[in-house]
Amino acid sequence: MKPLEGRKIVCCVGSGGVGKTTTAAALALSAAMEGKRALVLTIDPARRLANSLGLKALGNAETLIDPSHLAEAKLTVRGEMWAMMLNLKRSWDELVRRNARTAEQAQAILDNKLYQTLSTAMAGSLEYIAMEKVLELYSSGRFDVVVLDTPPTSNALDFLHAPDRVLDVLDNNAMRIVLGPMLKAGRFGLRLLAAPSGLVLRTLARFTGSDFLRDLAAFMMAFEGMYEGFKERAANVKALLSSPQTGFVLVTSPNPLTTQEALFFHRALERDGIRTAAVVVNRVQRDPRRHGGPDNLAALREALQLAQIKDENRLAERLCETLTEQAILADLDRREVERLRDTLRGVPLFTVPRLRKDVHDLAGLWQIGEYLGGE
Amino acid sequence: MCIRVPRPMPAPVDRRLVVVTGKGGTGKSTISAAVALAAARRGKKVLVCEVVAKERVADLFGRPPSGTEIRQLLPNLYSVHVRPREAMREYALMILKYETLYRLAFENAAARYFLTAAPSLAEIVMLGKVFWHAARETERGRLRWDMVVLDAPATGHGLTFLSVPEVFLRLVSEGPLARDMRLMQALLADPERCSICIVTLPEEMPANEAIELDRALRQRQFPAGPLFLNAAFESRFSPQEVASVTRGGPLLTAAGEAADNHESRAALCRHYEGVLRDTVPRRLVKVPFLFERNFGAQAIDKVSHAIEGAL
Repeated sequence: MKPLEGRKIVCCVGSGGVGKTTTAAALALSAAMEGKRALVLTIDPARRLANSLGLKALGNAETLIDPSHLAEAKLTVRGEMWAMMLNLKRSWDELVRRNARTAEQAQAILDNKLYQTLSTAMAGSLEYIAMEKVLELYSSGRFDVVVLDTPPTSNALDFLHAPDRVLDVLDNNAMRIVLGPMLKAGRFGLRLLAAPSGLVLRTLARFTGSDFLRDLAAFMMAFEGMYEGFKERAANVKALLSSPQTGFVLVTSPNPLTTQEALFFHRALERDGIRTAAVVVNRVQRDPRRHGGPDNLAALREALQLAQIKDENRLAERLCETLTEQAILADLDRREVERLRDTLRGVPLFTVPRLRKDVHDLAGLWQIGEYLGGE
Repeated sequence: MCIRVPRPMPAPVDRRLVVVTGKGGTGKSTISAAVALAAARRGKKVLVCEVVAKERVADLFGRPPSGTEIRQLLPNLYSVHVRPREAMREYALMILKYETLYRLAFENAAARYFLTAAPSLAEIVMLGKVFWHAARETERGRLRWDMVVLDAPATGHGLTFLSVPEVFLRLVSEGPLARDMRLMQALLADPERCSICIVTLPEEMPANEAIELDRALRQRQFPAGPLFLNAAFESRFSPQEVASVTRGGPLLTAAGEAADNHESRAALCRHYEGVLRDTVPRRLVKVPFLFERNFGAQAIDKVSHAIEGAL
């Protein structure tokens, strides 16, 4: 894709079910065919991508797609095509282990009840760990381009503000002050038995009970001393998000709900000073009327007669109804695509027609890749 | 020995809480609106609760957004948008009684942190609010609503949403929130009073997610409502017809392509319907694809008639 030339990191963003994973894989495949060492990092736990790449499963490590498998699909790949599926929990655990000062500290965190909830359920935690992984892969120098298929549920703000949110959870001064006495007790090796004191803490405890606050204090304590390391990483992640080497590709379908989401994401990027590199609209209904020909009942009957096809079981009527329906779909899709084009003036827009079948193999990915080529 | 004769479960339309879940973009709001409309037509007083960031149901009926106040959309049919911030405030005030105390405890940096860290507190208060509606009585002690329809967040978040009481109770066992979460958990698990439906599309990812969601919901023993297969295409042409029209010369190119498109979508639909019937032990209800230039009240009316039999 032209607008992505020179970019080292490509983030495919958009709502779930719009073909993000497929688009990401197609972009990586195109880059590999052009001679780049390309990696697609997916979060989609369905084995679909793995299958279409000819793998049984994708793990939490980079896997090279066997060139012979690519050759079978009649694809000449001059570079390398890599794929990997991110395991949220394992990646977080690895990150903690890497940053902990001692093995004991790492274990204390991994065992913490709150850590388990926060690492998997907190808004932005998946997005953060995904970007963190991208940073790691990118810095390894082993890849020319890393394409990220972002989590299906993320919204723009979760994504862009994930580093700040994660940092805020790890070290929050205000909470530190409120939890003060409880933290102090813990630091001197006392068990966290101190009752919540202070009006704010006592009020909060009325909602969740004091056990939860104790867990919270234990969580903050466990991270003590690791904060600086995390802060540095998060700053790097943040810098990477807004670097010119990173390109955001908005992926959408022509459904008004998903285009709205795409536009929302675009504006969120803009507010953070990031330009959208390209928009991909998947599954656009082709208009059968582009072929011309009769589209009303009388004319269709005549055309059938001319072609010596019997008008049995109201065939002409059924054809007429089908043509009308698909014209409606095509009009709706066109209206949505035009609206996107108008709003996103200046952003290169690519459309991929609705294909007759789901994309299941490398050949299918390449077919998509061709619609995304050039400008 | 005591033989227990299972009592027939009340039809979904007779249950107090109907939860509509599914992947994003499958038409949860449409189905929620249609379920509510079908029930309202049968004389039930129905409230639709929307908990996602942007409310849609009022708009589907061509009405202005309801916001956080309950608004009537049609006779017997009402909707409300439950938002985390307002729900939190209302909830906190119910317990704390004093506005100043609320401000002191919740409108400071530490509390904001607390709200992020406390497991899904936003979801908890929203679910608490929905529960409050479902259990609300009139002065005469009768239930205020015959049915509350919860238009739940998309799958990943939807399952998290329904598991909120469980997750919360694992971490917090005391306090007023824990008490309410226990009541909510009991309602969500009760097949006499609650039904959890799934909405999906005849496409790969939505179908797969529906299968996973169904499994997860059954594992947690949530009462299984119908599976709505939305935007379904029915076959209309025989393969011979498609072949002969496609070969019928330039005048029939457009018609041939349209027929072929239609049949390829019908084939996909048939495929996923088969997969879903084989793997999801729920009543499958097909909702036909609607070709509407403007999707509004008329379309919802059609959908409500299509699903009526399943309620």
